[in-house]
Amino acid sequence: MRASLIALTAGLLLVSGLSYGQGRGEQIPSYTPTVTAFDKLPDWSGAWQMVGGTVFDRATQTGQGGAIDAGVREHPPYNAEWEAIYQKNLARRDKNQFPDVFTNCGVPAGFPRMFNLPDPYEFAIRPEESWILSENGPNVMRIYTDGRKHLPDQWETYTGDSVGHWEGDTLVFATIGLKGSRDGDSILDRTGLVLSDKSHGTTRIRKVNDNTLEVVMTIEDSKALTKPWVVTKQFRKLPVGTRLYDYGCAENNRNPVDEKTGKTLLLGPNGKPLNIN
Amino acid sequence: MKWIYKPVLALAIAALLGSVQPAAAHHSGAGFNSGKIIELKGTIKEFQFKNPHTWIQVLVDDGTGKITEWSLEWGSPNQLGRMGYRPSTFPAGAKVTVRLNPVRNGEPAGGFIAAKFEDGTTIGRWDDKVSPSAATP
Repeated sequence: MRASLIALTAGLLLVSGLSYGQGRGEQIPSYTPTVTAFDKLPDWSGAWQMVGGTVFDRATQTGQGGAIDAGVREHPPYNAEWEAIYQKNLARRDKNQFPDVFTNCGVPAGFPRMFNLPDPYEFAIRPEESWILSENGPNVMRIYTDGRKHLPDQWETYTGDSVGHWEGDTLVFATIGLKGSRDGDSILDRTGLVLSDKSHGTTRIRKVNDNTLEVVMTIEDSKALTKPWVVTKQFRKLPVGTRLYDYGCAENNRNPVDEKTGKTLLLGPNGKPLNIN
Repeated sequence: MKWIYKPVLALAIAALLGSVQPAAAHHSGAGFNSGKIIELKGTIKEFQFKNPHTWIQVLVDDGTGKITEWSLEWGSPNQLGRMGYRPSTFPAGAKVTVRLNPVRNGEPAGGFIAAKFEDGTTIGRWDDKVSPSAATP
């Protein structure tokens, strides 16, 4: 009886092992770490704040804040199919039926929205890796600079996988493995700007003066764009001693989204919606 | 007592651009009427100094003894904390006059603009040059 039980257990483990083994890629591809010496890296210490608003295409901004500038700015070179998707999202936005996914709390900003957030940032750099930390969210973007390559079978996530290197004082990295708007829970801004799961980017970050970091993203997307989309974001340095804090989005979120209408609600003191829209 | 006044558009835009914008970080501010500013006199019930946005709960007597609780949304506690504000900024029981952009449907809520305490201390973008031009119950 006991021997039968052991044999059965062994059999089950073997079967389960075989099933788990299917589709398994390399765990950690071999590579020889190579890094830039720490004393060769620039000083990006302190807290930083994105300059400008969080809407990429300001020509689409209506309502609060108004249309600041006429004309098209940072509008992605969409093909016809994705321009139609964007216009549909804009129309929903105008009816207050295109909620910002952030409003529900819990999903990362992803790339490239990672560089399009309010509230301060920190850029922590080390020879082998750099971390970009946003208070809003919070979000973290990891950039490996130790010579490793992307996984050949990288799956898609919000922020993707970033590997890069230093060119003097400029951090250069490639980001792949982005899910884009595939699941409907990742947008670039609250106008409804979206990219597809074929999007990927090359980013260059450098300090253009003591108080300004410049982030230039070149985004390609064979499914949604007709040519590379180049977006520049600048970040100004905040006063020395500036602190960053928790961003517990779900701590007291009184603006949940009504799943039936897509409208953003405002909860009164009794927890019931005031139906503001 | 509720005072409503309609400042010129430029003033409203300037107020929006210059003040802490609670709706900018977490959700759209489309529900707030940025073209209207309401002034209320009341008593602080609670200052919810929590993420993602702070909320100032104010009890307002309409003059007949009916008390309404208003919800005023402000910036994130992180943002406000860096500006020097604290959970104690609005102590419970304090008498206060507040200005806000009300929600569009008349519910007792809005985006906080500024406040003045009984001792004359002000919070936010209080502008004494702006006077109520009309009053409603």
